[in-house]
Amino acid sequence: MTPPPASAVADLLRPTSVPQDSQINSDVMSVTKGVSWQWGLLLSLALIGVAQAVFSLAYQTYEGLGIAGYQAPVFWAIYIINFVFWIGIGHAGTLISAILFLFRAKWRNAINRGAEAMTVFAVLTAALFPLIHVGRLWKAYFLIPYPNQRALWVNFKSPLLWDVFAINTYMMISIIFFYVGLIPDIAIARDRATGIKKFAYTVLSLGWQGTGRQWKAHNRTVLHLAGLATPLVLSVHSVVSWDFAMSIVPGWHATIFAPYFVAGAIFGGFAMVLVVMIPVRRIFRLEAYITDYHFDNMSRFILFTSLICGYAYGAEYFVAWYSGVEFEQTSFWLRAFGPYWISTWIMISCNVIFPQLLWVKKFRTNIPLIFVLAVLINIGMWFERYVIIITSLSRDFVPAAWGLYIPSVWELSILAGSFCWFSMFFLLFLKFLPIVAIAEMKELIIHDKALAAQEAH
Amino acid sequence: MPTLVSIFDLPDDAATAIKKLRGRGFEEIESYSPAPFEQIDEAMDDRPSKVRGFTLVGGLLGVFTGFLMQIWMSWEWPIKIGGKAFASIPPYVIIGFELTILFGGIFTLLGLLVVGRLYPRRLDAAYSARFSAEEFGVVVKVGERDVGEVDSLLRGLSAKEVSLLDE
Repeated sequence: MTPPPASAVADLLRPTSVPQDSQINSDVMSVTKGVSWQWGLLLSLALIGVAQAVFSLAYQTYEGLGIAGYQAPVFWAIYIINFVFWIGIGHAGTLISAILFLFRAKWRNAINRGAEAMTVFAVLTAALFPLIHVGRLWKAYFLIPYPNQRALWVNFKSPLLWDVFAINTYMMISIIFFYVGLIPDIAIARDRATGIKKFAYTVLSLGWQGTGRQWKAHNRTVLHLAGLATPLVLSVHSVVSWDFAMSIVPGWHATIFAPYFVAGAIFGGFAMVLVVMIPVRRIFRLEAYITDYHFDNMSRFILFTSLICGYAYGAEYFVAWYSGVEFEQTSFWLRAFGPYWISTWIMISCNVIFPQLLWVKKFRTNIPLIFVLAVLINIGMWFERYVIIITSLSRDFVPAAWGLYIPSVWELSILAGSFCWFSMFFLLFLKFLPIVAIAEMKELIIHDKALAAQEAH
Repeated sequence: MPTLVSIFDLPDDAATAIKKLRGRGFEEIESYSPAPFEQIDEAMDDRPSKVRGFTLVGGLLGVFTGFLMQIWMSWEWPIKIGGKAFASIPPYVIIGFELTILFGGIFTLLGLLVVGRLYPRRLDAAYSARFSAEEFGVVVKVGERDVGEVDSLLRGLSAKEVSLLDE
């Protein structure tokens, strides 16, 4: 056989089809293009919020924890509430990215990236609060076991130390999971960027080209990370709940705490996904990718976890009554009718009563309604932690030791700052990285295309 | 050796092309795809990815590190807490578990980087932005004399474009 004639080779060198960019690439990447004044305004507000909280923190660090509203008998307050609240927010993201992945629930692909980003930023917010709460920031390293001359190690039997390990593991794994999912999408951005952006995306995409070898390794990695993150996410909030449940304070010492906290975390987290994704979808016109179907599914999750929360609230009261323990009974009576009755009723209405609207299909796809509902649920979940922590501590065993806690302005400033800190990350994320997992969505789009081609034959 | 770049619209066609090329004895084949598809993965290499070994090693390392660290540190400065043994296993399960996950996760990431050969580097000459849109690429190195034949084979398998890479 002879080599082909030169003319045939020349023919091969001529491209015969015009490369076309895909619709989803341009739709999703358009979110990152250009900066509107509204975005600039929001980012400025977020930065101002963070700055004032940094000032408060600096003042608190200088003056000592006395300026926070701590006084006997309440020494765990807003900072711990915020910590539990933000860690809980993170859980929905991991549920969507890991657990729904293992269940092959393909609808998660559209909201996966936004939820994962939310997880990472929520955990970054939460991780600050134990340090703020401890007060002496310069001694934060006491939390980790480090070699020292006195051979003095941390107490491994304390749930507070378990928490150090659980939170740090959760933070690392969430960041790894988030980044691994992003690699193919950063490569998409790299192929369409210029200048400094191209350089940054080139470094971050680590030479991703979607070769057979790379996809195979990537699939395995995502599967294994999902397998690791699933028990992890259930363990993290269980460990957080044991911070309370391992003590003997009335209202805290309950075996129901671990599942109760995990369900509550997923409940609040899903609500936060809605709070974040509804405006993003509307502003950046992503209605084609995040549809009513997704909101319907998320609403069902919220309804389901709301019922678990409602059951847990009921079970707590039942156990308090049935135990016959006077301290437990008094504690729960005072929750509902004591000085903090208002927080308890906010918690019950926002978390159990209002979400019952979602039984109606029409409401599940009514976007403004579920947005309002999601905001209320977030308020309710914050108050749930307020109820658990403050009412239990302020009314413990000896009435002579009872006291009232009122948040100080510095604590409220740091609370506001935490929302700004979270929003700051999210706003920056919007402008640098794709908010929808493009490669995962393409899997579905190309699959549909193949089906259509099959039917045409 | 001349390199032929063929472009497909559908993952099944690309997978068939890879299998056919394999069957004809071509070894140096590379595929590019915008999203993961099992058909292509299997056609390229039907062995499970080596990433799983990394996770296993990481997890085992984590569980041993977790327990041994806690037991050693408890014994180095023994303090009786709550009437328990200096090193009491039940409460140590939690940190042992967390470190299993942590090390397993970090090693899995390492596995991805090593097995997928991911590090900032120059892209393949055959790679183009089309493969991060919605098209599939099958790239094969063939002998001078096989160019014409492989070209018609690929076109026969509904490649919408076959071109010769200039190097």
